[in-house]
Amino acid sequence: MSVPVLYRASFGYLLRHPWQLALALLGICIGVAVIVAVDLANESSRRAFLLSMDAINGEATHQVTGGPSGVDETLYAKLRTEHGIRNIAPVISGYVRHQESTLQVMGVDVFAEREFRNYVIAGNDEQSVVVAGDEGESALNIVSALLTTPGALLASPDTARQLGIDTGDRIFLSANGKQHEGVLIATFPPGQQRQLDNLLVTDIATAQQWLGMQGKLTHIDVRVNDDDDAILERLQDALPQDVQLLTAAGRTSATLGMSKAFMTNLTAMSLLALLVGVFLIYNSVAFAVLQRRKLIGVLRALGLTRAQTFSLILVEAFVLGVSGALIGLLAGVWLGEQLLHLVARSISDHYFVVNVTAVSLAPGSVIKGLLAGMGATLFAAAVPACEASAYSPRLAMMRSVLERRTGEALPLVAAVGLSAAFLAMFVLALSGDNLVAGLVALFLLILGFALLVPIAARIASAWLAPAVGRFLGSTGRMAISGVIASLSRTGVAIVALAVAVSATVGVSVMVDSFRGSVSDWLASTLQSDVYVSVPRGSIDPQLLDDIVQIQGIEHHSTVRRSWLETERGRVRLIAVDMAPGSYAGTTLRQGDPADIWPAFDNAGAVLVSDAYAYRNDVEPGDTVTISTGNGDRAFHIAAVYENYDSNDGAILMSRRTYDIFFDDPRVDSLGLYLSDAAIAERVMGDIRSISTGRQSLLVNSNARIREMSLDIFDRTFVITDVLYWLAVGVAVIGILGAMLALQLERARELATLRALGMTPTQVGSLVMLQTAFIGLLSGIAALPLGIIMAWVLIAVINRRSFGWQMDMTVDPAVLLSSLALALAAALLAGLYPAWRAAKARPALAMREE
Amino acid sequence: MTNLCRSYVEGGRKHPVLEYLNLDVRKGDTVALRGRSGSGKSTLLNLISGIDVPDKGEVHVAGLNLTKMSEHERTLFRRRHIGFVYQAFNLVSTLTVADNVRLVLELNGVAEKQAAGRVAELLKAVRLDNRTDSFPDVLSGGEQQRVAIARALAHGPALLLADEPTGNLDDHTATAVLELLDRLVRSTGGTMIIATHSAKVASYCSRVFELRNGNLLPVSQ
Repeated sequence: MSVPVLYRASFGYLLRHPWQLALALLGICIGVAVIVAVDLANESSRRAFLLSMDAINGEATHQVTGGPSGVDETLYAKLRTEHGIRNIAPVISGYVRHQESTLQVMGVDVFAEREFRNYVIAGNDEQSVVVAGDEGESALNIVSALLTTPGALLASPDTARQLGIDTGDRIFLSANGKQHEGVLIATFPPGQQRQLDNLLVTDIATAQQWLGMQGKLTHIDVRVNDDDDAILERLQDALPQDVQLLTAAGRTSATLGMSKAFMTNLTAMSLLALLVGVFLIYNSVAFAVLQRRKLIGVLRALGLTRAQTFSLILVEAFVLGVSGALIGLLAGVWLGEQLLHLVARSISDHYFVVNVTAVSLAPGSVIKGLLAGMGATLFAAAVPACEASAYSPRLAMMRSVLERRTGEALPLVAAVGLSAAFLAMFVLALSGDNLVAGLVALFLLILGFALLVPIAARIASAWLAPAVGRFLGSTGRMAISGVIASLSRTGVAIVALAVAVSATVGVSVMVDSFRGSVSDWLASTLQSDVYVSVPRGSIDPQLLDDIVQIQGIEHHSTVRRSWLETERGRVRLIAVDMAPGSYAGTTLRQGDPADIWPAFDNAGAVLVSDAYAYRNDVEPGDTVTISTGNGDRAFHIAAVYENYDSNDGAILMSRRTYDIFFDDPRVDSLGLYLSDAAIAERVMGDIRSISTGRQSLLVNSNARIREMSLDIFDRTFVITDVLYWLAVGVAVIGILGAMLALQLERARELATLRALGMTPTQVGSLVMLQTAFIGLLSGIAALPLGIIMAWVLIAVINRRSFGWQMDMTVDPAVLLSSLALALAAALLAGLYPAWRAAKARPALAMREE
Repeated sequence: MTNLCRSYVEGGRKHPVLEYLNLDVRKGDTVALRGRSGSGKSTLLNLISGIDVPDKGEVHVAGLNLTKMSEHERTLFRRRHIGFVYQAFNLVSTLTVADNVRLVLELNGVAEKQAAGRVAELLKAVRLDNRTDSFPDVLSGGEQQRVAIARALAHGPALLLADEPTGNLDDHTATAVLELLDRLVRSTGGTMIIATHSAKVASYCSRVFELRNGNLLPVSQ
C-alpha cells in the first residue's frame, strides 16, 4: 500500500529528526507507563485479594460473624442439629508466619466442606470426601490424616514449593507468638493455583489451637439459594444477639473498600504524571508543526485545505500516540511489577494482608492506558493542528507572526487559567466530602495555575532581563529574551517543569506536615516506657500477669484492638485500660478532660477518632451504635480524639465498658510505665527471659516503637516519591525537547554568533543560561502552586480520603530544595543541547536558506 | 592567500571547489568575487575568515597565518579582525538593534561606556538612531542590512566580508545599502571582500575577480 505523498512529507520530517521523534514517543510512553503501572499494581492487589477471598469464601453466600472474639463453636452444632440448617460450614481463619512470609491459615470441618470449597472436598457423597490429593492417594486416607495427624496441612503445589516442602515434610510456623509444627499431607489439585497461593488449610481444631481461639470460630459460612429467603429467616431467628448474618460479598467489598481511597490517590498521582506528559506531547507536536510552518505554508499555497491540514497533523499525532502508547504499555507492565510490591506492602501495612507476586494483565488496565495515551496525544495535538490549519499561506512563512500571536493569546490563556482556578474553588466548596470531586478540583487548580505561568514568565523576564543584562551583558539579555521571545516553544516546557516541581513541593509539604503530625501524635501517645505485643495475636493471660509483676514496673496499660463488622462495613474498636500516664497521651480535639475521662472510664461513654467522626458525621454528644454481646447498644460520644493508626477511624472504649459488653478477655499489647529507678533495658531483658518458651513477644522501647511507626509511615510514601520523580523525569524530557527544538530553529543564529567570534564555550553557556532561566522560572512558579497543592492535599484530599486532620507546616528547606531541583532538572536537560550548540558550525551562517 | 585548495567529498567522490588560488589583498582594497552559484565564493570567504580550513595552501590576514591557528585561535581572530555582512542579515532576533551592534563590542571586551558611544555613532551613521530599541523582525530588509553593516563595522575589523549583501533586497534599497557600505568602509580605510554574482555590486569595488572552475580570474584591477 502506498502512502500518499502528503503523509510521506509529514512523516519524513519526523524521521529526519529522530531526537524529537524519540522525545515525543518517550513523553507519551512514560505518561502511559505510569498510568498502566499504577493501575496494574492496584488491580493486581485487588484481584489477588478477591481471588483469595473467593478461595476462602468458596460458595458461601452469607456468613455468620461474631464480635471481637468470634463466634462460639457450639452455635454451629446448635444450628445444624437443633435447627436442622445443613448448608453451613464452620471456619476459623487467621495468619501464621514462616520465616519472612505471612500465610493465611484456614481451619475447616472437612465433612462440612463439600458444599463450599471444591478444592478441599471432591466427590458427591459423604463417603467420597476429599480431596485435594496426590494421584493415587486414597481420599479417605487424606481425610483421616487431616483429622488425626497433629498439624496436618493442605497447600497448593506452588505454596509448598515456595515454602520448600514436599508432601510429608514438616514445617515450623509461628502464630499468636508461639511456634507450631505443621505437616504437609497433600497438595490441592491443579487448576486453582493462584487463588490458593499462600493459603494453608487445616482441621478446625488445629487452627483454633494455633490462633489461640479454642472454642471459637471466626465465622460460619452459609450457602443459600437466591430464592430461598425462608432459610435465611430461620437462620436469623436462630442466631443469638451477639452474632450477625452478613452477605459474603458485602464483607469482601467492605474490606476491599477500606483501601479504595489509597488506590484512588495513587491513580491521581499517576494522572499527574500523564498531565505533565500531556504538556510534553503538546510541546513535541507543537514543535513539529511550528518547524514545518514553511512546508505547511507551501502546501496551503498549493491548495491544501484547512481541514486537510488539520487532519494531516492529527493523523500524524494519532500514529505517534499509538506507537508511544504501545511502547508505554510494555514499559508500564515492567514498571507495574516494580510498583506492585510497594502497593501490596502499603495495603498489607494499613488495610488487609495481600500476597501478590506477579501483575495480572487486566484488559481494563491495558485499554485505559492505550486510551489515555492516544487521547492525551490527540488532545495535545488538537491545539497546534487548529493553529496550523488557521495559517494563511503567507503568514505561515513568518515566525514573528507566530510569536506575536502567542504573545497576544497570553492574556486569554491567563483568563482561562483564572477561570479554571475559580471553578476549582467552586467545586471544592460545593462537593461536600466527595473525594473524586476533590481530585477534579485539584487538577483544575493545577491546570488553572499552569495557564497563568506563561504570562507570569513574560512579566518576570521583563523585570529580570535588565538586571541580568547588567551582570552578564548581551549574552545574558540574549538568553532571557531568547526564552521569552520563543514562548511558543519554551512556554510549555516551563509549565511542564513547574507542574512537576510543584507536585514535589505539594507532596513534600503534605508528607512533612503529615509526618510532623504523626510524630507529634506518637510523642504524646507513646507515654509508656516499654511496649509488649504479639504480632497478629494476643498476650497469654498468665504471662501478662507475670510481666506486670516484674520489678521496676509501676503501672501498665492494656490495649485490645478488634474489628466490628456491620452491614455498613468494618469498624475498628480499641479497648484500653489506661494507666495514669495514658490520659495525657490521648489528645482530645475539644471538651474538658475533667468531664470526659470520668464519663469514659465509668459511664460507658466512648471516644471516636477524627477519621471516624468525619466519615460518620458525628460529634461529641451524639451516640454511636455498636453490635455487642447483648445486641445493638448506643454509646454516648464523649469526645473526638486525635488518632493516626487507623485509616478508617476508630472507636475508643474503656476496658471496663468493653468487658461489660464483650466476652473477649484478650489483650493485644501492653504499655509499661517504669519507676524512676528502673532501667528499661533490664526490664525488657526480664520480659524476654520470662516469656522464653511460653510465647514469642515483641518487646520494644518507647523510642523503638516510635521509630518503627515512622518507618511504616515512610514506607507508605515511597510509591508517592517514585511517582513524583517520574513526573519530574517527564518534565526534564520536555525541557530537553524544547531546547533541542529551539536550537534546531536557531541553528543559523547560533552559527552567526560563532562566526562573529563567540567561542564554543560561550555559545554553550548561552544555552545553559537559557535552560537555567527556564528552570528558575519554573521553580519560582512551582512554589505557590506547590503550597496551594499541599493545602488541597492536606485539607481536602487527605481529609476526604482518610478523615485525618493535620497542621500544615512549610519547611523553607523544602522550597529551596524544590527550586534547586527545578534548576538542576533544567540544567541537566540543557547539557546535551548546550553541547550541540557549542558544535554549531559557523559556516552555516553563510548558507542561504 | 597562496596556493589555496579546498575540496569536498560527496558520495565517495572528491569534488574540488578551489584549486591553487592565489590572491593578495592590500589594506584599503575593496574586492569583488564574482561567480555562479556553487562556484565557491562562500567557501572562499569561509577560508579567509577562518571559519573553514583549506586542504592545502595558506591564508594570512593582518599578518597572521590562519592555517597555523587552532580552532579556538581562529575564533578569537575572527572576533577581533573580521566583520560579516550576510545575504540573510543574520541578526540575533532576540536582541534589539542596539544590542545586536553592542554584541561584538562586548565580545571584544570594549568598556560599556565606550561601547555605548560607538553603538550610537554607528546607528547614526546607518540612519537607524531612531530604531535602537526595535527588534529585528519589525525592521524592513534594508533596515536589517543596515544594522548588519553597523554590527560588522562596530569593532573596526581589519577585513569586512560580505556575502551577497544585497541578494535579499530590491534594487532601490540595494543601491542605498551598497552606497552606505562603500562610504563607511572607505571612510574608515577598511578592507572589504564582497562575494556576489551581481555586476552592479562588483562595480562598487576597486578590484573584481571571477571564480570559475576553482580558479580565480581577474576581471578588473
